[in-house]
Amino acid sequence: MPDRRVAVTGLGAVSCIGTGVEAFTAAIREGRNGASEISSFDTDGFPYTVACEVKDFEPERLLRRIDTARWGRSALFAAAAARLAVEDSGLDPGDLSAARTGSIMGTTAGESQVLMEVVDQWMSQGLKAVDPRLVPMAPASQIANAVSAELHLTGDSQTIPTACSASNMALGYAYDLVRTGQADFMLAGGADAVNRSCHAGFYRLGALAEKVCRPFDVNRSGILTGEGGAVLVLEPLEHAQARGARIYGEVLGYGVNCDAKHMVNPDASSFAECIRIAHRFAGVEASQVGYISAHGTGTRTNDITEVTAVREAFGDHIPPISSVKSMIGHTMGAASAFGAIACLKAIQEGFLPPTANLEELDPALGPGLDVVPNVARPGRVDVAQNQGLAFGGNNVVTVFGRVA
Amino acid sequence: MTAGAAVAAPVRPLLVTGCGVVSPAGVGLAPLAGALESGPAAPGAPEDSPDGYPPQPLWALPELPVAEHLGTKGLRHVDRFTLMALIACRSALRQAGAEGDGADIGVVVATSTGSLRTLSEVACDTVLQEKPYMVNPGNFPNVVMNACGGQIAIKNGLRAVNSTISGGQVSSLAAVRFARTAIEGGRASRVLVGGVEELVPISAWGWHLSQALDAEAPIGEGTAMFLLEDAEAAREAGRTGLAEVLACEVGYHGVDDADGRARGLAACVGRALSRSGVLPDEVDVVSVGAAGHRDMEAVEERALRAALGRDVPLIRAATAVGECYSASGALQLAALLASWQEAPDGDPRTGLVTSVGDDGNVGCLVVRRWL
Repeated sequence: MPDRRVAVTGLGAVSCIGTGVEAFTAAIREGRNGASEISSFDTDGFPYTVACEVKDFEPERLLRRIDTARWGRSALFAAAAARLAVEDSGLDPGDLSAARTGSIMGTTAGESQVLMEVVDQWMSQGLKAVDPRLVPMAPASQIANAVSAELHLTGDSQTIPTACSASNMALGYAYDLVRTGQADFMLAGGADAVNRSCHAGFYRLGALAEKVCRPFDVNRSGILTGEGGAVLVLEPLEHAQARGARIYGEVLGYGVNCDAKHMVNPDASSFAECIRIAHRFAGVEASQVGYISAHGTGTRTNDITEVTAVREAFGDHIPPISSVKSMIGHTMGAASAFGAIACLKAIQEGFLPPTANLEELDPALGPGLDVVPNVARPGRVDVAQNQGLAFGGNNVVTVFGRVA
Repeated sequence: MTAGAAVAAPVRPLLVTGCGVVSPAGVGLAPLAGALESGPAAPGAPEDSPDGYPPQPLWALPELPVAEHLGTKGLRHVDRFTLMALIACRSALRQAGAEGDGADIGVVVATSTGSLRTLSEVACDTVLQEKPYMVNPGNFPNVVMNACGGQIAIKNGLRAVNSTISGGQVSSLAAVRFARTAIEGGRASRVLVGGVEELVPISAWGWHLSQALDAEAPIGEGTAMFLLEDAEAAREAGRTGLAEVLACEVGYHGVDDADGRARGLAACVGRALSRSGVLPDEVDVVSVGAAGHRDMEAVEERALRAALGRDVPLIRAATAVGECYSASGALQLAALLASWQEAPDGDPRTGLVTSVGDDGNVGCLVVRRWL
């Protein structure tokens, strides 16, 4: 099999702090907090009523081909982010359609808002009265299919619902398809929508913050649920160079493993092993990594596990590590793809993305920890790593590098 | 880049060293082979539902022999969807002699919904409980669609790549493709791969409301899981198997009409044959996926005629297990292996598993009998 180098040449973001990669990046640099009162469902009876919703999402303004009434909110996030990513890449959409191009999208809750609508109709009138229009919209597979339909792609079209690291799994798989010559180009990323079940479940687990997400802070209290779509265009490096494309960076490789211990509690040594696997596949030493985009959910369990694992893999010299979830909440299946965009913009523009809302770094996390508090700092990044952990013990770490 | 620039290289054969099946026909390949002749001997009935069921034949599992296969411990918070898969996985690992050896074994589960039972219980709780957050905390971890894959890893100590793949009707074939790519990429030396589908009121009504099936097509449930590894590595290790899995190709033709989808599937079959080094003339049998589908059955048969240039004997797994959506491809592969177990050695020796969904996904897997 040919083993091709894979570049990232297009980025698309639909987030609560900005639509389009430039707006998203500008907000990240200033550490903007995207949390607000929930409006997508009735919060009556919920003690906590804040989430990171994309209030200004107007899919019909971003999408050109697909009928927005026939796809769920997660699918529309993915398709809109993919359309933006392709525009950003400078690739001709017709060329993409004609080539062997596919779409691999991560998600946690799939078309959760469609399912909630089904359940509401079911509870009020019975299953036989459910609107038939909703049925084909409900499977999680429609998220990647929306991207393929919007861009008229005929390659692989699959959704990977591996919870909170899903878009890192999607990125890894899409990278493998391009690297091995099974695809010419791939759209890879993820999408999720804020919904009542997810909000209820995280509240019930005691993992939900009331108003603010503060990863690494001694006063952290949990996650905020978030939503959006984030998509990357993967292209053979040689092809990108030949057309004179703007290259954000290169996918150097990724590591993936499974704790195989507990459905919910992460395992630090297993995650450290995942980081070492990623470095081995990417062909980098720990000392070369200049920035870590943390999973950084805002729970104490995550902070302790993730920092312990990073110490185990990096020793005493931990690179700057920050969490974009402090700004956009936990976007679930899109989270790792937003982290990847932060890594690639950090490499391209030379800055360290911040951890917003930080007041007091938790001393329990130990010495020598730079979480880039509150606003971005200038800094050259040649290699960045993007961390994802998930329910089910699914760890995936992607590694991006500057193209020399 | 011009169209078709990615002409992928021939694939290395993978060997199926173990297989586990749970279906309305029973547990294992032998009852499945029998059911291919005359339907399942004694399918179970689905649980009672306050909503009733649509007027469509319903084939549930006759029983779920949990204690016999999994023992009785540590299963309290495991839902039925995952229990089905755990039984199939345990059978596959046992057959391959791979139990207790999971550090380098990965898992790929095909589903487009996860456990609809658990998912809808949690969603309904947010409507029906006194407070909307009073969801059952024991249910919540099972609500994620990768819960089944996670439990398979936990119960069997499988620590390599663990993924879940959603591609609608084609999910199981996409999962095999993922598994192949993972093994070739060195992300696992062996992968347990297959699909799971559970018959619950919401899925039965979903099929009915979608009008995708013929009125007399049974709705089924079940799972098939396979342990795959590089065939050459298996041979060197002195391991034997049930069949070789060659190329698995997929594509999306959701914006095309029926003709376009038939052309898309035919092209997909052509790519899979080419990457497998198999000529159309060498295909002895096709295990088809769209049997009982109102529109897609004709699309699939037309595509096969175009790709193979003749009529080839067909195996219709759905006549044995009912319609199994995301798990269909895995049960189609199981049906192919079951039919080969019944036939004398020698012929037939090369088969296809094909799939086309109403969403526009298509897939084709090439399988060679292990002799």
